[in-house]
This record gives sequence, C-alpha cells and structure tokens, in this order.
Amino acid sequence: MQVAVIDTGLGNLHSARKALEAASPEITAYVADSPAELERATHAVLPGVGNFSTCMERLRSTGLDESLVKFAESGRPLLGICLGMQLLAELGDETSPGSGPCPGLGLIPGRVRKLRAPGLRLPHLGWQEVKSVASVSGAMFSGIAASRDFFFVHGYYLDCPPHLVAAWCDYGDSFPAAVVTGNIWAVQFHPEKSREAGIRLLSNFLEGDSCSKFAWFLPSS
Amino acid sequence: MKRCSACCLPETQDSIHFDANGVCTVCNQINVKKEVIDWNERGRMLIELCDRFRGKHAYDCVVPFSGGKDSTYTLWYIAEKLKLKPLVVSFDHGFYRPGHLKNRERTLKKLHCDFLSFKASWKIVRELMMESLKRKGDFCWHCHCGVYAGSMQVALKYDVPLIFWGQPDAEYGSYGYSYEEIQEVNERQFNRFVNLGITAEDMAGMLPDWVTPRDLEMFRYPKLEDIKAKGIVSLHLGSFIPWDPLTMAQAIREELGWKWTEVEGIPPKYGYEKVECMFTGVRDYLKYIKRGFGRTTHLVSIDIREGRTTREQAMRDIEQYDGKRPASLDLFLELVGMDEEEFVRIASGMEVAPHKHDPSSVASGAPLPDQPLWRALLGIEG
Repeated sequence: MQVAVIDTGLGNLHSARKALEAASPEITAYVADSPAELERATHAVLPGVGNFSTCMERLRSTGLDESLVKFAESGRPLLGICLGMQLLAELGDETSPGSGPCPGLGLIPGRVRKLRAPGLRLPHLGWQEVKSVASVSGAMFSGIAASRDFFFVHGYYLDCPPHLVAAWCDYGDSFPAAVVTGNIWAVQFHPEKSREAGIRLLSNFLEGDSCSKFAWFLPSS
Repeated sequence: MKRCSACCLPETQDSIHFDANGVCTVCNQINVKKEVIDWNERGRMLIELCDRFRGKHAYDCVVPFSGGKDSTYTLWYIAEKLKLKPLVVSFDHGFYRPGHLKNRERTLKKLHCDFLSFKASWKIVRELMMESLKRKGDFCWHCHCGVYAGSMQVALKYDVPLIFWGQPDAEYGSYGYSYEEIQEVNERQFNRFVNLGITAEDMAGMLPDWVTPRDLEMFRYPKLEDIKAKGIVSLHLGSFIPWDPLTMAQAIREELGWKWTEVEGIPPKYGYEKVECMFTGVRDYLKYIKRGFGRTTHLVSIDIREGRTTREQAMRDIEQYDGKRPASLDLFLELVGMDEEEFVRIASGMEVAPHKHDPSSVASGAPLPDQPLWRALLGIEG
C-alpha cells in the first residue's frame, strides 16, 4: 500500500506519517506535494493544522485541489484530519478579515463554521469524548469503544447533513467529530495524537474490512 | 451511599460512574460483553493470534500465574484448549495459603508446565508494605508491581513474545477500559492504577536510605524500547473468550481438581474467590474502612449481573459478611510490626466520601481453619 500524506504546507506531516506506519506495518507512507505524487497512491490522507483559506490557496497553487477531487472520484480511500476534514467541505468561514467565505474541495456537502461554545475557551483543545454512530461509521470505529476520548485542537467545525455524521462530540454544542461518505472519511480530532484508539482508526482506514482486528498492535516482522 | 441501581456497587468504588438510569460503569461493560461483542469473531482472532506465535520460541507465551481461579483457568485454557506451550510465572507475594500451594502443584503436574517463581526479600517487602499502606491505604504495592512488572521482565529475559493474562479490566472494575477494545497490558495500564501511582523509582526515593533502586529491580516496569525491540504482545485471554468467574471456577475444579476453600469476609459459596492469599481478609477490611464495602459487595454484584441472585438477597449477604474484623489481622500486624490503632487510623484517614467509618459497629470474623498452619509457612514458627 502506498499512502500519500498531502503536503498542505502547514502542520505536522511527520506525526501523521509516523502514526500511519504504526497503524499498519505493511504500508509505505510518503509526503506528496504534487498531483503526480498523489496519483501513485492507493490511499490519501489530508492532514492540516492552520487556516482554511490559506491552506486552500496552497492546494490550488500546486494543483492538488483538483487532483484530490479526482483521487476521491476514483474510489480510492481518502481521509481528512482536522483542517483536512474541513477542506473537504463546500465552503469555509475561516478566511482573512474582510473576505467572504472560501470554497473548499466540495467533496462533503456542508460548510465550515466557527464553534459555538459560549463560556468555553476557544480553540477547543484537549481530550474529548466522541460518540460514534454505528449505522453510519461502518469500519471507521471497528474495535473502538462507542464512547471514546480523542484529542482535538480546532476553532471551527464542519456543519454537514446529520446522515453523514459517523460520530458526534459535545463542546458547548454538539458538532460532527467524524464523517463517512463512501470512500471519504473525515475526522475533526487528531487520530495521530489519540494513542491506541487513534492508531486503531488509522488501521481501519488503511485495511478496511480486511483489517485483521489485532494487526495494529502486532509488531512488524 | 448511593449504589448502582442494577448491582450493589457503591459510589465509593474506584473509577465508578453512573449513567442517567443510575447504572454503573461495570454493569454497562458487562452488558457490552453480553450484547455487543461478537465472541465468535473474537474466538477466530484468538486462533489466528495463537497460530502466529506457536512453536517459534522456546515458550509460546508467558502466563502470569497467582494460582487463583482466573489465572488457573487461563493456564488450563492455554495449555489444553489452545495447545500453546506456556512458561508459567508467579510473583510470590509471600503469603500463599497451604491449600493454594497444593492447588498450584496439582495444576502444574496435570498440565505439564515449566514454572518459574520469584520472591523479593522480606526485609524489602516489609518496607514496601508499610510505605504503600501509609501512603495509599493499600499494603499490596509489592504484589501489584511484582506481578505486572515482573512478568514483563521474565518475558524479556526468556525471549517469550506473548503474555496471556486472565480477565480484562472491563470485567471487574473498568478503570476506563472497555470490552469493545482489546486492552493491551502495558505500562499505561501499570501507571493508570496497578502501581497506585508509585513507580519503583518513586518508591526508592520514599524509603529509608539503606534501600537503593537496585533493591527494587523486581518492581520496575521494563523500558518501552526494550519491549518494542522484542516485539512483546501482552493481552488478556478474557478479551477473546467471555469471562464468568463461577463457570471458570467450576471448570477448573472438574478438570484439574482445583479445590475451593473458605475466605474471610465472604459467603462460603464463593470459595473460589481470592483463595491464594492469607491476607485477603485484611485487604478487604482496609477497603471496608476506606470505602464502606468489601469483597461480598463485589461478588454478589457479579451474581446479580449473571442472574444468579436478587438485589434483595445480595443486600442481605452484604449486611451479613462485609466489614468484619478478620481474625488474620493479628498475625498481619505482628508480621509488619504495627499496632491496630495505627492500622485503623491510617485506613480511616483515607475514607472516601460520603462514607464514614464507624469502628463501634465492627464485629469480629472467625479464623479460617488453615490459619494455624500459616506461621510455619511464614517462617516464624516457634
């Protein structure tokens, strides 16, 4: 398996790559900074920490925006993490002052909005309980407790149709913590920073239904 | 005290939570065990796992073995059902009862297993018991750490790639673990609650100067990098087969001739529970002083979940058996060199609200039939 970690020019690509390698000993994970690099992948992960419009600008400048859409349309598994989840939406509110909402990749119907958390600190940072929805999540939370803490760092969230929501989280208000639509998975939390459960989720992403339920904690041979 | 609306566990139980219906975390986990987990699938995983490890090293797995019902059943299942070759490892806490030693010998003979036992110096153990009692109201630090750190050390030293423990933590206490996930037995669990928040390094700093870190080697969790380098996998058998203590105790009685016996502070029908240690009664009495409940509460709660008793009968059993001053306390105090007043003062100082200990209500329990034999086993006869 060839797993492309998309170079968004922002955020910690290295920790995502390391976590993917820990999740499945069989894979090769590499940082992809061009459409050609992405094209040879079997799986793609769009990580991201930072600003929505800045990151979209970067994807547009490298042509990765269009190739990510093509990649998803080809049916290959795509996982968006944190800002990477939000970039999959149609529209994002996180832009520079004065400018209107910024278009995203449009792979998930919905708009990225500022978290509503009156009286609570923003950005939302730390471990928070995630409740998965078995009827939507498919293999995403296989082998993970239905109620499980994951690690979050974000000030915005993806507001999307509830039938796509694979898991919810509460921070002041309820927001989608994970979305599944066909071959596209997206999580607002950071699986690469969420220890065992996060590694398991990445393993589920990489191996899908064929995920040997304990391969993720067996040592690589 | 508030109790679970389904079983009898009270709010003073460590790490317990109640849901909107007043049902506790342990009951909810047992429901997950019964209703959510696909045990056929877990069984297939177990077979696949064993196939990966069988026959590749001198031993296929380490089985940490107290000789109680859980680890005896685990050993029997691994040797007889899974046909793995185990290295049986015991940390000897120093207080094995005579019946336990016979059970252990019978089990090892019947299952043809190699057996390794290790025991720390009594001089050190006594210090550890006193220190952890004073700091945590729990004198068993040496046993918790010896079992968990020691078993991992043995796996490393003997190059055994797999460790099989008995029941996962979701079974009896939760501690934040869930049946939905296959729990790894690792340093994380060790530091979460096994070691009472005290590492061997901490302990060396707390004890008198004559105790050095070298003296606590047996209680030190091995380095993560060493465990990773060897690729040791450490899991519970109970993550792959559904656990039920009574059924298991009946199975080992039948298969191995494992004898049940009386234990202080619990109804005789539970003669399979914590039978290996002379000071189970003292441990449970400490818990009663601190938290207002003892081992009977735990056992009847299991029976409620399994549909073997009613909550009314369970509450009557608790009333009758929990909280008695165990006859073994005198021997315990003599051994560690402490008077009873201090013992009760330390324990009362660690009361968990809203429980309040009332010394005037404490009745005395009868001595166990084998207690006269203990002094000889402890090396203090005559």
